[in-house]
Amino acid sequence: MRGGDAGAMRSIRLVARREFTERVSSRAYQLSTLITILLVGGLLIIPSLFDNSTHYTVGVVGDPPEGLAAGIEAGSSDPETTVTIQHVTDADALRTAVEEGEVDIGMIDGITVVIGPETYAELNGLVMAAAGSQALLETAARLDIDQQTLTDLLSSGPNVEEIEPDDDEFARSVLAFIGTLVLFVSIVTYGQWVLQGVVEEKTSRVVEVVLGAVMPRHLLAGKVLGIGALGLVQVLVIAVTGFVAARMVDGIDIPQITIATVATVVCWFVLGFAFYASGYAVAGSLVSNSEDAQNASFPLTMVLMIGYFVASSAFGGDNPVLRVLSIIPPFSPLVMPLRQVSGNAAGWEVALSVALMTAATAAMLRIGGRVYAGGLLRSGGRSKAREAFRGAEI
Amino acid sequence: MLRLDHLSKRYGDVVALADCSFEVARGALLGFLGPNGAGKTTAMRAVFGLVKPDRGEVTWDGRPVHMATRHRSGYMPEQRGLYPRMKIARQLAYFGQLHGMSRPDAEASAERWLETLGLSNRKDAKLEQLSHGNQQRVQLATALVHDPELLVLDEPFSGLDPLGVRDMADILAERAAAGNAVVFSSHQLDLVEDLCESVVVINGGAIVLSGPVARLRAASPHRYLEVEHTGPTEPWYETLPDVEVVERQPDRVVLMVDRDADPEAMLHAARQAGTMQSFAFTPPSLSQVFVEAVDR
Repeated sequence: MRGGDAGAMRSIRLVARREFTERVSSRAYQLSTLITILLVGGLLIIPSLFDNSTHYTVGVVGDPPEGLAAGIEAGSSDPETTVTIQHVTDADALRTAVEEGEVDIGMIDGITVVIGPETYAELNGLVMAAAGSQALLETAARLDIDQQTLTDLLSSGPNVEEIEPDDDEFARSVLAFIGTLVLFVSIVTYGQWVLQGVVEEKTSRVVEVVLGAVMPRHLLAGKVLGIGALGLVQVLVIAVTGFVAARMVDGIDIPQITIATVATVVCWFVLGFAFYASGYAVAGSLVSNSEDAQNASFPLTMVLMIGYFVASSAFGGDNPVLRVLSIIPPFSPLVMPLRQVSGNAAGWEVALSVALMTAATAAMLRIGGRVYAGGLLRSGGRSKAREAFRGAEI
Repeated sequence: MLRLDHLSKRYGDVVALADCSFEVARGALLGFLGPNGAGKTTAMRAVFGLVKPDRGEVTWDGRPVHMATRHRSGYMPEQRGLYPRMKIARQLAYFGQLHGMSRPDAEASAERWLETLGLSNRKDAKLEQLSHGNQQRVQLATALVHDPELLVLDEPFSGLDPLGVRDMADILAERAAAGNAVVFSSHQLDLVEDLCESVVVINGGAIVLSGPVARLRAASPHRYLEVEHTGPTEPWYETLPDVEVVERQPDRVVLMVDRDADPEAMLHAARQAGTMQSFAFTPPSLSQVFVEAVDR
């Protein structure tokens, strides 16, 4: 059948536009987009609304060492730590206050430390150090040790090296996890839309009228493009929401969403969706009602779930299974972006993975397009993919 | 001119089309007749490329039908169907565009058709909100919205009430009068006889009769004799040669006789039997021609 490329493009565009405009105005789509925005924004913003900075209360009897509060604040792992010094009348009152948790720790005359059952180890250490220094100063004064000797004595000690945890790596892992989740949910959701759309066209019989004017492969392409565009819009909405929310709260625990991450997710969405959505369309073309559609599409959903669970279970890590699946279609669209965003994938691995997935998608469109054409005009029960492929008339 | 040229199609052991050929000229309104399973739907689908014949081809003005031709054709499949949840004006405009119209043209044409069919106040209604009859009207408009040169309708009259039948018949006649080639299948043979100048009859995938209705009726080897008397009669016709009784009531009889039978002799015999109320010697109706052709 000749039709001309221009005619083909026009048909595909018309079909895609119908799929997009008819669905974008549907309540289901608007609601799911709104929920997604609230969910993503909420997840990022809500934790920062709670004041989770550290606050210590130190009960003292007599004079505390000079600069006690400032020392604790400086020594705490949380830079926003605040300290209150609370004066207590006598030692017994102090002990009671510590026991009942009115104060976090107690100090008598700058030397004796009263530790309660719930005293934090960090606070304990800092107050003990302060008390130790105070005791040292008093002993030095008694022994008549001059200031210089004391300073020398105090400065001797072990050299300590501390390895800071890589905050960046953790943040990247979180981001990769979220990216994979977004990909999985979008591909499944919009793949199901394609499936339902195909079944609806078949059961309402409108497909015969449409196929009078459009080649089946162009109908398939337009459908996948139109619904894919809806999915893409939602992925971008999620990205923008995340982007804005993360910058609004500007906390250290929140991964900063980068353009590179968004680009990775978007590219894999396009590749993965083209493949899976075509698969869902083929499954839909082989059945005559929605119940059968779920069964027919189950293997496809299963493959998607395997990819997703393999990817999400290896949080931040890298292992041989992950490396292999990140290259093999059709698992790669879920596994490779995880490794890319986590920073674990080599350039050649990405290139190979993209090339293989592109080839798989092209094959799917070709073979799937034919099965789709063969299945569309059959009715009653479930057709076999092989029969539909052989019986394809158009 | 649409031409189905020696189409053959098998599905396994089932022969759907067996060297099926016929033509529909511009300006013609052709009735496409045949019992269920004779191959009507397969032949119509073949025009739109929905069935690929094993042999033969479909041509329009002498050239094989391709997508551009299909865009100038309107199709109403036997299994009706449109998008249930799409607004009808948008739906019509969409099908107009799918058939190559620009968006403004398609929207204007959709508007006009809804006006013609008396649905302009429902243009923002979804298809599923319309009554069955109105859904049928929208289905017809879908086949017509792009002003096709060729109209192929599979059972357009099935499921219509008498008013719907009249409207449909008017529209088909108008389209043919405007110079379009129109072919439709139907089981309502009396209607076809009124509406169409020519018919083709398909049976077992092969065309068994084709031509102008008057000629087909005249060409039948049989004639029908219907005689009514004012009162009950004896079986007066038994003395006539080669007579088959089709229907018999005490005062009325319908006989099938040979085309060359002598009406004078039969009139004479009928007169002998009593006072006649009516005497009709006619070629078979289209229905009778149809039954003779396919019931062998």
